Amino acid sequence: MTIPEFTMADFWPVIPAGILTAAAIVLMISEVFLGAAASRTYQSLLSVLACVLAGAVALMNMTDTPRAVLQGYAVMDPFSSFLTLVVCVGTGLAALLAAGFLQHRNAERGEFYALMLFAAAGMTLLGLSNEFITLFVNLEVLSVATYALTAWLRRGSRPSEGAFKYFILGAFAAALMLYGAALLYGATGTTHLTDMAAKLRAALAETDASGGHPKQMLIYAGFLLVGAGFAFKVAAVPFHMWTPDVYEGAPTPVTALMSAGVKAAAFVALVRVFMALGPAVDPQLPFIAFSVLALLTMVVGNLLALPQRNVKRMLAYSSIAHAGYLLLGVAALFAVGKDAKVGVLSSTPLVGISGSMQSDVYQGILFYLLGYTVTAIGAFGTIVALERREDETKGNAWDLDRFAGLGSRKPGWALAMTVFMLSLGGVPPTVGFIGKVLLFRAAVDAGLLGLSIVGMLASAAGVYYYLRVVVYMYMRPAPEGALVPERRWTTELALVATAAGTVLFGVLPGPITALLQRTDMLFHR
Amino acid sequence: MFTHMVSPLTPYLPVAVVLGLAGLLAVLIPALTTRLGPRSVNEIKSATFECGSDPIGSARQRFAVKFYVVALLFIVFDVEAVFLYPWAVNFKALGWFGYGTMVAFAFTLVMGLVYIWKKGALTWES
Repeated sequence: MTIPEFTMADFWPVIPAGILTAAAIVLMISEVFLGAAASRTYQSLLSVLACVLAGAVALMNMTDTPRAVLQGYAVMDPFSSFLTLVVCVGTGLAALLAAGFLQHRNAERGEFYALMLFAAAGMTLLGLSNEFITLFVNLEVLSVATYALTAWLRRGSRPSEGAFKYFILGAFAAALMLYGAALLYGATGTTHLTDMAAKLRAALAETDASGGHPKQMLIYAGFLLVGAGFAFKVAAVPFHMWTPDVYEGAPTPVTALMSAGVKAAAFVALVRVFMALGPAVDPQLPFIAFSVLALLTMVVGNLLALPQRNVKRMLAYSSIAHAGYLLLGVAALFAVGKDAKVGVLSSTPLVGISGSMQSDVYQGILFYLLGYTVTAIGAFGTIVALERREDETKGNAWDLDRFAGLGSRKPGWALAMTVFMLSLGGVPPTVGFIGKVLLFRAAVDAGLLGLSIVGMLASAAGVYYYLRVVVYMYMRPAPEGALVPERRWTTELALVATAAGTVLFGVLPGPITALLQRTDMLFHR
Repeated sequence: MFTHMVSPLTPYLPVAVVLGLAGLLAVLIPALTTRLGPRSVNEIKSATFECGSDPIGSARQRFAVKFYVVALLFIVFDVEAVFLYPWAVNFKALGWFGYGTMVAFAFTLVMGLVYIWKKGALTWES
C-alpha cells in the first residue's frame, strides 16, 4: 500500500470550506447550549465573520499557482478561488439579511446559519472538484442543505410545496447526473476528469468486430445526462420549472443565496467538467447544446418574467434569464473565434477558441457571476426589508403594490432597489452593465454574433419588468393602510453594502477585471 | 504408502465438523424449546408482526417521527464504522496524518451526536 503524501500546499484550496464548516459546527452547538439567549443576532454576525475569513483565504489563493491538489481529486486555480470568494460574499450578505427576517418570524435558530454555511462549504468545494465522485458528494452537500433551508418556515403551505418540489426534482436531477457519470466511467474506467479526458478520444474511436463504435452511444448518453443534471441546477430552460415555485416558497434570504451561490457554484462545475471533457470528444456537440440552452433560457426566462406582478417570482424568472446570459458565455468557450462567423447554430466543425480569447470569456463569466450575486442579493434584500409576516397568509406578500409609494415612505430603500433593478437590466453605471459588456463582447469575439443579438434583445425586454418596479416605487401612491416596514440595522447594512458594491464595481471595475485577467484561469492538466 | 495418500478433502474436515454441529444444534434447540418452554398464546402475540403498529386497519396513519430519527442515527454511525474500520486496519501505516484526519472526522460526528443529544432526539418518552 502506498501512503499518499500531503503537504500544506494541498490544503490551501479547501481551507475556506474548512473555516465555513467549523463555524457551522460552532453555530449548531451554540444553539443547543446558549439557545435561550434573548437575541440571536450574534449567530448571524458569526456567520458573516466566517465568510469574511474564508473569503480572505480565497483571495490569497487567487494569486497562487494553478495546480492539481489532493492527488488530483481537486484543483487549485483562480477560477475556483474566485468562485469561493463569490460564494463567501453571497453567504455573508444572505446571513446578514436572515437576522432581521428570522427575528421577525421568531424563527431565528443557529441551525439556519449552520445549514447556510454547510451549503456554502459544499458550493466552494463543488467549484474545485476535479473528480466525479467528489463533485457529486459536494453537489449533494449543498443541495441537501438548501432543501432543508427551503422548508425552514415549515408551517406555511408555500414553503412545504417549494421544498417538496425542490427535493423531488433535485434528487431526480442528481440521479440523472450520477447515471451519466457512471456511463462515462464505464467508457473510460476512471472518474478523474483529467484522466477521463485523456482516455475519451481512444474510447470513442474503439471499434468492435463489425466495425461499429461500441462506446460511442455510452459516451454521448453520459454527456447528455451529466449536462441535464447541471442544467437543472443552473435552472436552464427546459429544466427551469421548479425555479419560480421554489424561489417563492423559500425564505427570502435563502432565495437570495440560491439565486447567487448555488447557481454560481453549479456554473463553475459545469464549465470545469465540459471544458475538460468536451474538447476531447468534439467541441461541436457541447457548442450546439449550450447554444440551444442559452437561446431558450434567455428568451423564455425574460418572456415569462414579463407578466409577473409578484416581485419575488419575477426575480426568480429573471434569475433564469441571467443563467441564459451565462450559458451564452459557456457556449462561447466552444466556439471557433473571430474569423468564423457562427450563427445561432453552426454546422462547421469547431476546434475551440484560442487561449487568449478563452480567458476573455472566463473573465466575462466570473465578473458576471460576481455582479449578479451582489445585485440579486440586494434585490432580494429589499424584499426582505419590506415583507411582513402578516402578509404572507394573504398570498400577495410580494405584489408590486407593496412597492407603491416606497419612494416617499422609504427613500433610501427605494434608491437601493432602483440601483439593483438598473443593474439587473444592464443599465450603466452599475455592475450589471459592465458584466453584460464583458460577457457579450467575449461572445461576439468568439463568433457568436447571432446569439449575442438575441441575448441583447431579450435583456432589453427585461428592462421593462425591472423598471416597472421603479415606476411603482416613485409614481404610484402607497395603498391605504399599508404596513409600515420595520427597520433593522442588519438588513439595512446588507442593503447599503450591496448597493454600494453594485455602483462601485460598475464605476470602477478595474481591480476585479485585473484580478480576472489571467491566461491560466482554469487548470486543465 | 497409505499414510501418504492424503485425501484432498482432508483439510475441510473441520468444516464438516462445524456443519454437523450446526445441523445438530438447529434440530436440538427448537426441539428442546418446543418441549420444555412454557407457552402462553394471546391475541397480540399471535397477530401478524408489523413493527409496532396495528396490522389491520387504515394504512394512512401517522408514525412518530422518532422512528425516522433513530433510523437516521443508525445509518450515520453505521457508515462511521465503515470508514473507521479500514483506517484501524492500516493504523500504523497511515501514521499521525491518518490519526489527525480520523480525529477531525470523528470530532465532526461527535459534535453531531452532542447536538442531537441536547436536542432530545435520544429520549423516547417526551
